[in-house]
Amino acid sequence: MSESWRKASLVSIRFRVLAGVVALCCLFLAAGCGESSGQEGDRTGGGGDDTLTVFAASSLTDAFRELEETFEKRHPGVDVRQSFESSSTLLAQIQQGAPADVFASAAQEEMDAAVKDDLVSGEPRIFVRNREVVMVPEDNPANIMDFRDLATPGIKLVLAEDGVPAADYALEILGKSEAEYGDDFEEDVLSNVVSREADVRASVNRVALGDADATFGYASDYTPDTRDRVKVIQIPPDLNIVASYPIATLKEAKNPELARNWTNLVTSKEGQRVMEKWNFEPAS
Amino acid sequence: MASGLGAASLALLAGFISLPILSLVLWTVNEDSWRAMASPVTRDALLLSVRTTAISMFIIILVGTPAAYVLARAQFPGKRLLDSLIDLPAVLPPSAAGIALLLTFGRFGLVGEPLDAFGIQITFTTVAVVLAEIFVAAHFYVRQAVVGFSQVRRDVEEAAMVDGAGRFSVFARVTAPLAFPALIAGAVMAWARALGEFGATIIVAGSFQGVTQTVPLAIFSALQSDFDAAVALSVMVLGFAFVVILASKFLLCKAADLED
Repeated sequence: MSESWRKASLVSIRFRVLAGVVALCCLFLAAGCGESSGQEGDRTGGGGDDTLTVFAASSLTDAFRELEETFEKRHPGVDVRQSFESSSTLLAQIQQGAPADVFASAAQEEMDAAVKDDLVSGEPRIFVRNREVVMVPEDNPANIMDFRDLATPGIKLVLAEDGVPAADYALEILGKSEAEYGDDFEEDVLSNVVSREADVRASVNRVALGDADATFGYASDYTPDTRDRVKVIQIPPDLNIVASYPIATLKEAKNPELARNWTNLVTSKEGQRVMEKWNFEPAS
Repeated sequence: MASGLGAASLALLAGFISLPILSLVLWTVNEDSWRAMASPVTRDALLLSVRTTAISMFIIILVGTPAAYVLARAQFPGKRLLDSLIDLPAVLPPSAAGIALLLTFGRFGLVGEPLDAFGIQITFTTVAVVLAEIFVAAHFYVRQAVVGFSQVRRDVEEAAMVDGAGRFSVFARVTAPLAFPALIAGAVMAWARALGEFGATIIVAGSFQGVTQTVPLAIFSALQSDFDAAVALSVMVLGFAFVVILASKFLLCKAADLED
């Protein structure tokens, strides 16, 4: 089934390339003849009052998008804007004065830094937990069967950037596994790293596209979008690290009330159900 | 009045460009950024950028010069289409170029898949960096070279041929030297574009210190954890670019002197 899917996807890629080439040629022919109607959408940025800006770790992308719909339905006229990047990037942006109302981080460390810089209003709350997993392409070209196989010489492993929580957890796990798999284990695995990606979703995508043989991701990165293209390999529970996600409203929030409503939705029963649907584990 | 407006506009433009550069340089006046300039990450990124852009420029000049000559001199069906095709990467957003390159050279790409069967993988290698640089930068050299060759008058070339010079030696001794300023200008533009290349590289080559992490990628990566390092790298690449612009200006003056 996976084989046929792969073929189907290749065919569709080829088809798309072909269609693109045809479209391009049409464009060339049309260039200069057509009058481009410069229609500029009248986007004035919306009134500051009914916009809620949420900065969330990239692993939260799908779950928070679903919650965004719920929230907007419940608050008519409110526009929720979300920025999904690595927690470390988001923290840097908030520190440089980016206009965010809510910060949801994939690690305590980034939230602690925000609290230390006096950027957070109130207490951050842990709202979900997330397990680290290893992900390989569906056809598993490097034949990785369990966690130990990551040390096999020559496999192409991608990790997120230094400082991105998913990668920091991965390094912590590798450090812990030396006791079990020998002193060279961590070094052997790290010598297989071929790229450091901007965030965890980018590194999972490398595997989904089949260019990398394995990566560290979260259980929640196994989404309907990637399900057909990646396989999950569990990390032994005694070595694994469970990430705790804190959320907080920010001091500079333009609309603190809306911001609080968002964190309440996320921590509510309904919010937690959505989070579980996307493979997160409940906070308590 | 008109000249006053012109002067004001020029001052505005100059200020707009120099203020960010000044801010960059001012930030580095502390020990942390000096330390960051000497770090292995910085050194590896600079060396890789120098190496990859040198290879890219070598290939661009080697292939681009004859190609530009043909585009400038010959008439053939489909020439305009070909012309637009070469311009395309200059207009295409680099991230789109990166996706296109990934679909071509990735493990399941049109070229990548057959190569993979031989155990050759292009993504995540320095080769991918060079491919990305050539893809986005070649245009700038070829375009200038075409203009340069078009300005060399045909009767000068023909006179040399009448004197018994072969086609190649006419090109090497007459046409190329006369078009030299345009070739240099094009090469500098292309090199600058290759040096700054970010979007296509990070998509098709990934980012790994010493292998695919060129200066722009290292700056982006440092932004995650070490702001001083990001600034230090930016300043170093600024200085590097400044030296190249000065050198090319100097070369152009020399070329102008030679013509007289």
